[in-house]
Amino acid sequence: MKKYDVIIIGGGSAGLAAALEINKHRKSKILILERDAELGGILLQCIHNGFGLKVFKEELTGPEYAERFINELHEKGIEYKLNSMVIKLHPNKTVEYANVDEGFITIGAKAVILTMGCYERSAGAIGLPGNRPSGVMTAGAAQKYLNIDGYLVGKNIFILGSGDIGLIMARRMVLEGANVLGVAEILPFSSGLKRNIVQCLEDYDIPLYLSHTVTEIIGKNKIEKIKLSKVDNFIPIPGTEIEFEVDTLLLSVGLIPENGLSEVCGIKIDPRTKGPIVNESYQTNIDGIFACGNVLHVHDLVDFVTEESRKAGLAVSKYLDKQLAETKNMIELIPGEGVAYIVPQHVNIDNITDKVEFFLRVKKEYKDVNFVVRSGENIIKTNKKRHLAPAEMEQIKLKLIDLENIKDIKTIVIEVTK
Amino acid sequence: MFDVIIIGAGIIGATISRELSKYNLKTVILEKEFDVAMEATMANSAIVHSGHDPIPGTLKAKFNILGNRMYKQMSKELDIPYMECGGMVLATSDEELTLVKELYQRALENGLNKKEVILLSRDKILELEPNISDLVNGGLYLPTTAVTLPWEAAIANIENAMDNGVKLKLENKVLKIEKKEHFIVTTNKDVYEGKVLINATGIHGSNIANLVTKASFKTRARRGEYYVLDKDVTIANSVLYPVPTEKGKGVIITPQYHGNTLLGPTSEFVSFEDISKTTARGLEYIKNGSQKLLKNIPFHKVVRSFAGGRATSSNEDFIIEESAVPGFINVCGIESPGLTAAPAIAVYVVEEIVGKKLKMIKKDNYNPNRKPVVRTIEMTKDELNELYKIDKKYSKMICRCEKVTEGEIVDSINRNCGARSVVGVKNRSRAGSGRCQGGFCQSEVINILSRELKIDKRSVVYSKTGSEILIEKTKGEL
Repeated sequence: MKKYDVIIIGGGSAGLAAALEINKHRKSKILILERDAELGGILLQCIHNGFGLKVFKEELTGPEYAERFINELHEKGIEYKLNSMVIKLHPNKTVEYANVDEGFITIGAKAVILTMGCYERSAGAIGLPGNRPSGVMTAGAAQKYLNIDGYLVGKNIFILGSGDIGLIMARRMVLEGANVLGVAEILPFSSGLKRNIVQCLEDYDIPLYLSHTVTEIIGKNKIEKIKLSKVDNFIPIPGTEIEFEVDTLLLSVGLIPENGLSEVCGIKIDPRTKGPIVNESYQTNIDGIFACGNVLHVHDLVDFVTEESRKAGLAVSKYLDKQLAETKNMIELIPGEGVAYIVPQHVNIDNITDKVEFFLRVKKEYKDVNFVVRSGENIIKTNKKRHLAPAEMEQIKLKLIDLENIKDIKTIVIEVTK
Repeated sequence: MFDVIIIGAGIIGATISRELSKYNLKTVILEKEFDVAMEATMANSAIVHSGHDPIPGTLKAKFNILGNRMYKQMSKELDIPYMECGGMVLATSDEELTLVKELYQRALENGLNKKEVILLSRDKILELEPNISDLVNGGLYLPTTAVTLPWEAAIANIENAMDNGVKLKLENKVLKIEKKEHFIVTTNKDVYEGKVLINATGIHGSNIANLVTKASFKTRARRGEYYVLDKDVTIANSVLYPVPTEKGKGVIITPQYHGNTLLGPTSEFVSFEDISKTTARGLEYIKNGSQKLLKNIPFHKVVRSFAGGRATSSNEDFIIEESAVPGFINVCGIESPGLTAAPAIAVYVVEEIVGKKLKMIKKDNYNPNRKPVVRTIEMTKDELNELYKIDKKYSKMICRCEKVTEGEIVDSINRNCGARSVVGVKNRSRAGSGRCQGGFCQSEVINILSRELKIDKRSVVYSKTGSEILIEKTKGEL
């Protein structure tokens, strides 16, 4: 069995950044396994711009953003395999994969990084009432057909869900000559970034129906009509139905971390993020298996994925050098009032050099509130926030010194208060 | 001139066609849909019932028991997924417990022996099914209950029938039937002549029968809606039935062969147009019904919901008989337990009815076995690498959720009764059945269908003619 220092499962934005970061810190035998025919992951189909503002201080398209990492990977001579699907991951860090050049192969590593990204919640998962004709698909699938394969899926489009891919595809379909009749969101606020609402809907006069959902799909072979209803707390209000004649319904109703492999391996999943539970080093409950990027929790921007994956890469290089402390002084992070989730979920204080960063999302929209970080009655930090929304990931940094000031700290709560 | 024309390629038409293919007869199946098994056979509970439930003395009771005893052998010959998981009827009140005891007597009367139907206490049930609700106070254990894949059962029967000479004509909707010396059946595409005509058209049974002569029965569509849960959660080890009522078997919890769990069905008479429509109300009913039997059902693990129509006949039993017009045989109203009864019904129809009309001689070269289906997910690494040496396509993973390779998809297209649509590929190979519902692999499946069928990608359909997915090319050729 061939042995590596690190096997990285997935050659998208997270896998590429993690590989390069490890390579920066130590000479390692790294292998990236990518199921697609090219490196870059979903970035390749995101041909719009807006990527890289944080990481490169310039505005790039998805393929351009990916290219910078891929070029560097080639320069550094980091090994990767394309068209290679990982079939099974074992807790002892052996990995089974398959491709047409080698067949079914088992390899091993000292560390494994999970960077499998996420998948889109499907029409089936949300139980849309009505027929099951063709022409109902996720926004990301339509994006792939259009931007990679070069095919249009329809001319009269309605979009359910205001996730960012849906908003991006609303604009994209208009540019390709289709009519986009509207975007519906069951919540009273958008699930996508503000900048996408402005640049993809408002600039193109595409109506956004907040507190609305599709209550019936009608169509024999291909979708012909949808019924849209206003909702009151998720329940459709009778008599508010509007009909739209469409040939396509795109769904942008949520992204779910892709953890099929992780679950089978026995990695514990946080029901809130649907990604692995990790510590400050992005290590899962299984020693030597790490996770970062959208497989861990869904990010708003690829720049955040890159930053997180670099941190994970640094932690992995320390792990390989046996510089990560044993998991002893663990602090558990608890989402308090108004907070949907916090990543990482655990912190080993011995592995913090000067500060630790947490990523979190809130459950609903807030105006003029505080983020309060506390341990028991001890308030560690208070951050004033003018506006909070579930669509925008928030960051909180804590200094090591703040944590050391509290004796026997076991839990930290982060909550939203007035 | 055909000896036998079968109208309808559901599970009934399928099993009858295979039974006929054992004899030196010329048989054709006419199916109005784009693929076989598209209506009731596509959307049902997938259960091979034990025979505990039908009213004693009915055809339902008779053929259920006979069919159950034939399933394992048929599944072996045709390589149809078959899981002997057993079943339980769960009572949730003292009243229901009394009914369970009556059901026990009924099961014995139907011919189950005392090893095939067993009364269980709550404690005993808990050992086998740890997730039962607090209401469950006893039940029946039915070890001969099993689970199959209904559409694959139909596909496998027709494929084997075709391997043995039967013809299949898809997208042939029957418009007119004339009886002279023999039957002349006109479809939207062609005219077929046959000596014996078998009506196996499910919910359309009485409509087709009326084309020959005024039917003595009426078939209606009773819609059932279902939820499918992801395969990574096991909530039931066996088929869990509520205590049946006059309306039917109620909301059943069914573990599926590939690890998913099915919850449903509802029961509601609807028009033909509405049989495959799901409703918010129906799905709510399933949620409530299933929670009566089990607790902590993870509804956030739903990957799909669907609906299908069962063919309910006006005389409340199966109709399996030659009509007043000699040679015209109705096999209609085959609702539950029709999937189970199908192989037994087929033998009866062929031997007892067709056999009296036509001179039938068994073929010497009849092959009862379907070419085995490669299912890479069930193979060891060594077996996979042996396969890889023969065909590298079996190491190219297309569907990541269900682990389906290109080799399996190509095979599903290139068999007799092969896939011609995205849904056809999904039904035969499982590509696209998983948690992402084809979000990632559908474009690859379109590419493979286009290549294998030698058609443009824009002509590849989702499920039937008119359901094309890609409508327009946006870029020129590279």
